[in-house]
This record gives sequence, C-alpha cells and structure tokens, in this order.
Amino acid sequence: MAICTGCSLLCEDIELTVKDGAISHVRNLCRKGHGHYQGLLTQRARPMIDGEEVALDQAIAKAAEVLHGSKAPLLCGWSNTTLEAQAAGMSIAKKLGASICDTSPPCLGTLMERIISGSAPTCTLDDVRNFADVSVFWGSDPSNSHPRHLSRFSYYPRGEKRQKSYEEERTCIAVDVRKSATATLCSNYYFRVQPGGDGEFIESILATLDGKIPKFGEKKRMIELGTILRKAEYGVIFPGPGMLYSLQNKLELFETLLAKLNEIATFKVVPMVERFNSRGYYQLLHGPGNSLAAAAKGCDAALVIGSDPLAELPLATARALARVPLIVIDPHRSLTVDAASVVIPSAISGMEAGGTALRTDGVKISFEPIIESDLPSDEQILARILEAI
Amino acid sequence: METAVSIVTFRDIFQDEAGKKSKFTDEFRDLCARILLDKQDMSRLGLKDGQKVRVQSEMGAVIVAAKTSDDDPHPGLAFMTSSPWSNQLAGEDECMPGTGIAAKVSPSDESVTQISELLQRMRAQGIL
Repeated sequence: MAICTGCSLLCEDIELTVKDGAISHVRNLCRKGHGHYQGLLTQRARPMIDGEEVALDQAIAKAAEVLHGSKAPLLCGWSNTTLEAQAAGMSIAKKLGASICDTSPPCLGTLMERIISGSAPTCTLDDVRNFADVSVFWGSDPSNSHPRHLSRFSYYPRGEKRQKSYEEERTCIAVDVRKSATATLCSNYYFRVQPGGDGEFIESILATLDGKIPKFGEKKRMIELGTILRKAEYGVIFPGPGMLYSLQNKLELFETLLAKLNEIATFKVVPMVERFNSRGYYQLLHGPGNSLAAAAKGCDAALVIGSDPLAELPLATARALARVPLIVIDPHRSLTVDAASVVIPSAISGMEAGGTALRTDGVKISFEPIIESDLPSDEQILARILEAI
Repeated sequence: METAVSIVTFRDIFQDEAGKKSKFTDEFRDLCARILLDKQDMSRLGLKDGQKVRVQSEMGAVIVAAKTSDDDPHPGLAFMTSSPWSNQLAGEDECMPGTGIAAKVSPSDESVTQISELLQRMRAQGIL
C-alpha cells in the first residue's frame, strides 16, 4: 500500500504495481490523486541558475549564496512538504533570522491555532467515521477539494456507531455561496448564504438555538437547521475557505457558535486544509503564522518550497515576490519556477521520497518512497543549504 | 455593454487534476479561464456559452470564456475557479474578499489570456 500526497486526506490505501522502476497500475486514487500521480511523468523541473541549466550541486550552492547574502530573506510555502523538511526550514529561518510563512490565508492560521491549542474542540476523521451523525460542510466542498472525504469518513462509510450510515444515520448539511457538488448531495440541507453573509448566518443559528426568531435567512428553514443541530449526537463542522474568507477577523463568532452548540450537544471542528501537510506546518509553528503579504513586500530574496505562490496568491502578493530573486525547490515546472533565479528540482514527497506529514485532522502519517529517484528529497536539499549558510 | 458582478472563487476537481499534471497545458487554461454567469447576466450582455468576455477589476483584467451557471438564479454574482486567472483580479489582501471580487464583465473579441501573459505581467509589475 502507498499513500497519496495529492491532498490533506493522505489516503493510505493506494494499491500500486511497480514494474521496471515505474508505476504500471494504480488503484483507489481519486481524480485529483490521479492527476498527482500523473505528475511523476510531466514537466519535471531542471536545476537552473538565471535561466541556464546547471548541475544540481551548483544550484544548491547558489541558493545558499543568495540566502547568505540577503539582508531580509523570506522562506515561504511549506504546505506541500514533509514535517522533516518543515523542521529543517525552521532551522534555516532561525540561523538566518529569516521570515517564514506559508501561503495560506491568515484567517486559516487563526483557526488552526485555535484547533491545535485546544481552544476549539476537535476530533480525528476516524472519530467522524465512527461516531458523527451530523456533518456540516461550511464554505467547503469536499467533492471537489477532498474527493474521498465523504466516502472514507463523513457520509458513506459504516462506522462503529454508524452502521446504518448515510441511509439512516448520517445527515450532511452544506452552507455555501454556491450550490457546489457537495451542496447538491446535501439536497434539502443546502443553505445558501450571500457572499460575506456567514456572520449573519451564525447569528441566525444562535437565535434559533436560543428559541428566538432568526433575523436573517428563511425563518422556517433556519428553525429546521437549529433543530437538527440541537438533536445531533456527534456533530462535526468542516469549515473551508468560503467561511474563513467571509468571516475574516470575526472568527470569534464561529467560536461563540461552537461553544453554544457544545452546551446542547457534542460538536467538533475539523479543518479542511487543502495541501497535504499544511497542518504539519502550523503544528510545528506553534502559532497562527505571519502575514505573507507583508513579508513578501519587505524581503530582498525568497526561498519557495512546497508551493507555487505566483499561481496561487492574489496579484499584489505574487507581484511583491516576483520582484526579488527567487530560489525555488520543486519537483515540477510551475509559474514560480519559471520566474525563479535558482531552481532546485526535488523528489516528489510520498512517491520518490519518504517522510511524515499530518493529515488535516492532525493524525501523523508516515510514508516510504515507492519508486527510486536520483533527485534529493526536500529535507536533504534543505539540510545541504543549512550546512552551507 | 458591461455588467457589474461580484466574483466568488471555487474549487473544481477537473481543474485541480489538470493543474497537478501541468499548469502549462490548454486543458488547464480552459478549465481556469472561464467565468460562470447567471442566465440573466448572460442575456443582458448578449452572450452565448463559450463567448469571450473581458473581466476587469481594480487590480487588472483577464479575457476568459463565459458560461451560463447551472446554479439557482444569482444575478450580479459570478463564479470563477481559484486559479492564476482569478488571482489576477484579486486585491491587496492575502484573503479573497468575503464579499467577492468587484469586477465588470463585457463581451470581448480578444483571445483568452494565456498563462505566459499572466507571468509576464507579474514580473513586469514586480520589477516596477
């Protein structure tokens, strides 16, 4: 069995056959995982300095030189790499006095800090499979972002206390701005919110839980929702980017809702981080993280690993990064690789390199390389940079 | 002719799959460079599925294909996948705005913005 590092579910049941050093057959991958595995064959990065192909050792040496000569270095990305590489990155940051940031929005950092510190009640996805009877997908759409979430954990599987599962025992609720694939599955339990309207929606739920008439939303449906939540034996909320972008710095509203729900029933929160080891980064960081927008504007060189910020970030931040010399460690060609001064190709974590990562619920998953590669792992590259600076 | 919309981004598994293989393919571009508009907004702009539109925000503009959304009516609200194309329109913040990206949509005869153009813009603006 292999694992898939295509998303933060880190599915551990991937069956594959390796023939002559290459994967010949794979089973149990979702569509997203299939794309991830196809990445073994497509557009691999090559070691480069200023657009010229060089030996790998030269690229690593140049990276160390650029970082050493920088007055305000930034180390960013980290979500798509192993815990070992993240720890090595934090050592480099300490040695250089560099800023370290991931590329997730700050609102996710705040939620993760609450969950990891224990101030927001949480559980594992295995608990969800075994006990959850009410799952609330709030601004999240696992059918597209975490394709096997519903089948492995939150809706279809027969868990220890949920043998009748989705037919009788599980209720799925979607709260979203658009009728996503998951919202369609939730059918009558899809609640549409207006963009930026999640705070009002929370206030309406709080009102129904207090037996009051909600100010916002369709009253009858809000009261129905309040009744389902009130009667839940083991409810779990899966907040996604939709909710976090909408609430921004008003996360305390969500915390108030969680506290209220836990006065009446058992309710947990499990984040829906996208990349395979975002959770690991926050766990190692012990805090909500720094603002990448500010760090990108203040840096004079940046090392990017486990991320493609020029493709993933809003223009202003991407532009701030594009103005400085970029050192990129990545297995693949990406927008950031194309803009980089130094490119260091790495082995793909989970396929060509082993390591450990934290699933979105915090469960540690270890993996071994499944095929051989001449390329070093992220951890090995960072160790060499650390030694050289 | 133009209409004002608020753009909310979303995740799409087909786009994700294509992007994990490579972001430099026509398949990935076609799955990113599109905007889902309400039926009423499509007819107001005289658009048919697949026709090109210019989407202009205060940060920049992209040319993408318009498609009628199959969601319940949502005039004034548009959806784009979270991608380098939608990121060109987003503002100064790291977070997408909770109320969506304010933009104007108008029919266009130009061709769809290529990923190489997006990178050129980022680098040119970065140097400035």
